[in-house]
Order: sequence, then structure tokens, then C-alpha cells
Amino acid sequence: MKDSIIQLNHVNFSYPFAKENVLNNVTLSVEQGEFLAVIGGNGSGKTTLCKTFNGLIPHYYNGQLSGEVNIYGEDTIETNVAMLSKQVGYVYQDFESQLVRPRVIDEVRFAPLNYGWTDYKKRGDEALDMLNLTHLKKEFIWQLSGGQKHLTALASVLSLQPEIIIVDEPVAQLDPVHALEIYETLKHLNQEYGKTIIVIEHHTEFIAEYADSVLLMENGTTKWKYPTFTAMQRTKELLSHNILPPPVTRLAEASDTSHKDAALPVTFDEAISFFNDRSFTAKGPTLNSVRSPERKPKELASFYGVKQGYKTVEKNYKWVFRNLTLSLYEGERIALVGGNGAGKSSLMKMLTGILRPALGDIVVDGMHASQTSPERMAESVTYIHQNPEEMFIDDNIRADIDYFSKARNLVDTESYAKQLCHMFSLHHLEDKDGRLLSGGQQRRASLAIGLGTRPSLLLLDEPTASLDINSREEMTRLLHELKGHVKTTVIATHDMELVAEWATRVIVLNEGEIEYDGDRRGLFSNHDLMRQCSLHPPQIVRLSEKLGVYPSALSIAEFLELMKRGESVYEPYQTPAFENQR
Amino acid sequence: MNHIKHLLSKINVETIKIELMNTAYGERSTLMAKLDPRVAIIWYLMFAILPWFFWNNTILIGMLLYMIVLTAVSRISPLILFLLCFGILTEAGYIIFVSIFFGGDLTAALALMTFTMKLTIISLASIVIFTNMDPERFSDALLRFKVPETFCFGISYGYRMLPILIDEYQSIFQSFRLRGKYPESKGVLGWRYIYHICVTTVKAFYPMILNTAKRTRTTVEALEVKGFTYGMHNPKAKELKLSYLKTTKNDALFLSITCVVLFLIIYTGNTYPIERTVHQL
Repeated sequence: MKDSIIQLNHVNFSYPFAKENVLNNVTLSVEQGEFLAVIGGNGSGKTTLCKTFNGLIPHYYNGQLSGEVNIYGEDTIETNVAMLSKQVGYVYQDFESQLVRPRVIDEVRFAPLNYGWTDYKKRGDEALDMLNLTHLKKEFIWQLSGGQKHLTALASVLSLQPEIIIVDEPVAQLDPVHALEIYETLKHLNQEYGKTIIVIEHHTEFIAEYADSVLLMENGTTKWKYPTFTAMQRTKELLSHNILPPPVTRLAEASDTSHKDAALPVTFDEAISFFNDRSFTAKGPTLNSVRSPERKPKELASFYGVKQGYKTVEKNYKWVFRNLTLSLYEGERIALVGGNGAGKSSLMKMLTGILRPALGDIVVDGMHASQTSPERMAESVTYIHQNPEEMFIDDNIRADIDYFSKARNLVDTESYAKQLCHMFSLHHLEDKDGRLLSGGQQRRASLAIGLGTRPSLLLLDEPTASLDINSREEMTRLLHELKGHVKTTVIATHDMELVAEWATRVIVLNEGEIEYDGDRRGLFSNHDLMRQCSLHPPQIVRLSEKLGVYPSALSIAEFLELMKRGESVYEPYQTPAFENQR
Repeated sequence: MNHIKHLLSKINVETIKIELMNTAYGERSTLMAKLDPRVAIIWYLMFAILPWFFWNNTILIGMLLYMIVLTAVSRISPLILFLLCFGILTEAGYIIFVSIFFGGDLTAALALMTFTMKLTIISLASIVIFTNMDPERFSDALLRFKVPETFCFGISYGYRMLPILIDEYQSIFQSFRLRGKYPESKGVLGWRYIYHICVTTVKAFYPMILNTAKRTRTTVEALEVKGFTYGMHNPKAKELKLSYLKTTKNDALFLSITCVVLFLIIYTGNTYPIERTVHQL
């Protein structure tokens, strides 16, 4: 057995004036070179636990700490945060607030400089080199993409050359492609440099692929710690903690009624051999031919030859769209997908009238965007920010929902707001400030505020980002329920599971060009296109591809159906733009 | 009129942000930018304080000309120059208006112009220093002058946060627009409309401040983890950080030339003074 470098014995911790302990009799050991995932529901004490490792508890947060926390055999009480930081690095969930310097190079040199190490330049350069970030050296932090910022935060932590690296929910704030990159980087650090990695995570897909062991937290105490494979077999227990086992595991569990004792596949590769062994004819239905529209649906919004771009710091124009022509029809549920900088947000902001095209025309609900003020456009279009905090402009949720109606002196302000609060289960939160709510509540509130403007066209930017499983499911349900309130919904998202579950039409943008405009199955069956536009297909879709299922199954239920009957009951393939006539 | 409209349409939050960041961090090859930041600060203090001691217009005109030359070679962003000119012109216009309105004549206005000139010299000096000095170097120079660490860090951190704050402000302002409503009638000269925009501009600050306050917790923790407090009490770290600050021959040359120029201006001023006559009460 290797040495344990983190050793906790009967640790209890409570914040001042709190009745209950946040940590309850925690005993734990972590070995050198381990890749550990910490899981557990909201408020189970995951983050608090990790903050005892680098001494923020008890040195920075006051509170009652009892028991023993040993890092490399040294009791954390005896030392301080600055000393511990050399051994334990911490990357925050809100990593953008962790970056304090203007340029990438300043950021990675900051910590070693504070310690007065004369080789601080070398250390900074090495950290960048370890993560292949050297080309970003001179860049300003605020011009980086989310993924690059996360890597920079990681590099700045690495500059102190800690042996232990803690990363708090890396997947929450990043799109799947970047999340994958972060995990690949962590794996590299773990295997090449022997760093001990601890991630707080609830995406089991990543845990199964990358972590060695899993620690489950419940009510401030450690329930168990098992190797990943064993941990992921306990599907029922995971579900009871609001943790969704990997899709392939759930699929195997649901499909395999005969082999009760056999181990379930956990990783993607295991799943391929698992399903290859169970001989089944992997053949999907043939795609039906396109049905011609019986009557033309009504256009709600259209772009005609739109050219739009922005000015860069170097003062030249970068065109996002060169010649965009596109129509959105009534009754559609549109998913707008594509990598970062593909133009998703720009497209939505143009529909609100806030962003004006350099050339071309946009018509929404009969209004020409170039001749109408955003205030007037807002009566038909609502844009819901990716960051809900930017939607909270009043003191409490209710006032935020009413803002639009009150500005227009609408008669049914009161009853309509009540109805919305009921629909989004916000009635007990009405008088709270939006900023103080939890992530899931904030999303619900921002959706209610958006609907408060009674739009025909609803635009949502990443509505499921950084939500836990429960809130995410609730969000998806609510998105399905919007039907009666709005005519058309557009969602810009990286969440391919959401696309697979919800969309009736998918538009793929790549550098301002429409690469694909059609139904979801058409997209998910075209794997080359997805890769080309840096989209990360859901696990089930990838499994379909590997097993030669064409067209791809989009959900576990569909896959099961396919296995049972040898073919599935897909809805007929249609041109999505006309699907609303059904 | 169309020309003005075109000009005004160019002034938006995005442009201001880009201009500001360019001014603050843009790579510069001008003479002033190569100076040691401490020398630059001393130079600035000279021109921020000296004008207050002179009433001799010749000297002030001399200083103003010197400043204008420096401004011209510093390649300052047109937006900032425009704002400065706008400020000076409106101020001068208002002085003339007030003096004539209250029954005075242009002599009164001329007297006040001395004051305006002083302000202009100082403003130009500030702009030159702001354009030519990276906030990082500025903050390090202050640190060398034994200004408290937290204050110096605050300057460089404040700059780094600016673009992020501006972006956030912009989104919140847009949220206000997308849920608010223009006044139905714009009123005389559109005053209702202008009032509405002004109120929104102010209101949009509050949510931004609250959001920022919330995020600061992580930042402070992160600073702790990165050994910032530790470095603050560690003289070795400070020495290392400031070791790149070195005065060169150029710095000495620059300071001496400045002194010679100042001497010449003051000498000329004393020989050919243009002084306003003080009215006996």
C-alpha cells in the first residue's frame, strides 16, 4: 500500500452560530497519485471537506474544528494557508474570480513571486508548458474563452508545483468539449507527473472514464470510498443521492434482465464490449422520405442576407455572419448549437434588436429590427441570459417578474405574475433577492422573469448550464411546458442531451455559417459533421455509432426498444421547419 | 447634422471599452512609455503642482505649448482627446456666457481663462501619463514609493476588472432596456426620453455592484491561497517583484531636459509677463 498523503481522523466542523456540523466525524485517507472523485448531493459538505485540505478551514474560515487533518504527515492546525498552498492547489468552481492579474503570464507568475522565489519566471513558464498554454502567454485574461480561463486558473495553481490538486466542479461552467479537455489535462498531470487529483463532480460519465476512486458524501460525513468500478455498480444508491450513473451503465442495467449478477459496464469501452457480447442485430429503421408540407407554416422571425460582426481590440472588424438567411416558424422548438464563437449569442441578440446588423434585414413578428427600438421588440421577443444574475434588476423575484407589466400598466399584472410563480414553483421565494437563490432556483426565476414579458419568441442562452441533475430535469420539464405560453422557443446550448430530448429542429452554426438545419436524428446520425463543428454527442449516440446502429438511437429508451425488437419505433423523418403543422 | 449623428453613433459602450483598454495596456513605443515609471510619476507631479504657483500667463502658455507637443507625440486615442476638448470648450463657453450675462465683459472671462489654462495643463499631463504608463508599472512604481501594498494591488486589480465590469454593466443595462419602456411622448427636446435614459444608466449600477460583491469572496480566498498575504509581509518577495525597476541614462536625460525647458519657460515669462491687472476693490 502506498503512503497516504491526506489523512483525516474524526474531523468535525461547524461554522460559527450554526447548530449543525458541516462535517461530521469524517475519517478519510487519500494516497499519493490517486485520482479521486468526491460526489454527493447539494449541501453534503463536499466543498467544505476540500477546504480543510489546504487549510482554508480552519485558518481562513472561523469555526469549530475538531479531529485531525494531516497533509503529508503535518497537522494543518500547526501550519498556515500559505505553506499548505505549496502542497495543495485549489481551482474554484467560479474560476474566473480566481484570476487576479491582467495577462496570462502575470497570472502564472503571481503566486511564485509572492513566495519570493527567484526562479518565479521559470516556474510560471513551466506551468504553462505543462498545459500547452505557452501560445497564450501574452493574452489578456478577459479575452480568453471559458475553457482557456479554466486552464489558466489550473496553470496558476500548478506554478507552485503542488502535489495535490483539487478541482471544484470543472464540468459545471464549461461546455462538454472543453470539459473533456480539462479532464484529459488532469489525467496527463496524474499519469505523467504523479500529481494527486481530487475533483468534486457529479457527472458520472467523466468520473467513470477518469477517476480511480469515488468518495460519497452525505450530510457532512463520508458514506464510503470505493474504486470507481465498484462505486458505479451501486446504481440505486447513487440515484438516491441525486447522482445519475453513466448512461451506458443505466442502459446495461435496464437491458440485462437475465444476467442479474454480471458486472455492469461503466466506461464507454466497457460498454462496447458488453453490448458486442450480447449479440443483437444493430439495425435501425430506414429513414423515411421527406414529407411535403401540406400547408405553409407561419414565419415568426426571419433574417435576410444579414452581415454582422464586432470590432476587436486591434480595431479591425471581425465578421461573425457574412450572409445569413434563415426563417424561424411558429410552433418550433429550435436548438442552436455550435462551438464557442460560432455566433449563437450574436444571432439571438440580433433578434432582440440590441445588436444591429451591418447589412441585411431582420423581421420579427412583422417588425423590422432596424426601425424598431429594442423596447418595442421586447414585447414580442425575450432573451434570457446565460448568467441569471444579469436578469435580476430589482430587489426581489416578484418585482423582477412584474417589471415589464408595470412599465406598461397592464391590467392583469397581479394575476399573471401569480400564475408564473405557481408554474415555476417560486411562490415561497417571491420576496427573495435573485442573487441569493441556489443555481436551480435562479434558472427558474430567470425563466419566469422572461415569460413576464409575454413573448411570442423566447430565446434562452444555455438554460441547463451548471445545474445539478434534479434541477436539470426540472428545467427540461419546464421547457416542454412552455408550449402554451410562447409560439416559438430557441435555445442556444452545448448540452446535447437536452437537444436530443427536446428539440424539433436543430441549427448547427460554425463560424457564422449554417452547417446543418434539420431534425435532431439527422444531426446525431451524422457523426462527421458533429466532430467537424466541435459538438460532443451524448454517450448513447456515440455507442450507437460504435455498434453500427444507423440512424442513431437518441435515448436509453430508444436503444432498449431497438434491442428488444431489432428495430425501433422512430417517428418519421421530416423537414423540421414544417414539423409544427402536425 | 448627419455628420454629427454618424460621429455620435460611434460612441457606444463597446468602443469606450476598447479605447480604454487600448489606452491602458496597449503596447507603446513612445519616449515616455520607455521611462522608468518612477521618473514618469515625478514628472507628472511637477506638472500637476507647478501651474498652481503661477499667475503669469506667459509661463502658463509656455507650459501649455510644451504639453501640447508632448500630447501630440504620445499618439493619444481620439476619443479621449475629444472628451477633453469637449470639456474645455463647454467650460470656456460657460465662463464667457456667465461673465456677459452678469453684465461683465470679456476681461472677466479672460481672467478666468487663466484658471482654465491651469486645468488644461494638468489634464493634459494626466492624459499623457495615463496613456503612456501601463497600470502594472504604475502600481509597481507606487509600491517602490512605499505606498501600502493593498492599495497598489488595488490599482492593478481594478484595471484588470474594468473590461469585465463594463461587459456586465452592458448586459444589465440591456436587461433594463428589454423589460422597460420608452416614455410615450418624448417631451420638449426629448427631455422625457433623456431623463429615462439617465435614470436607467444610474439604476443599472446597483445590480452590478451586488453581483461583484458576491464574487469577491472567491477572489479574496484565491489571493490567500496564492500567498498574497504571505508575500506582503515578505520583503524578499517585494524586492524580487520590483527588481525590474531601474533608472537609466535616458531617465536622467529626460528629467534634465524637462528642468531646462521649465527654466526657459519661467525665465521667458518673467522677462515678458502677460499678467492680468488686479482690480482694486
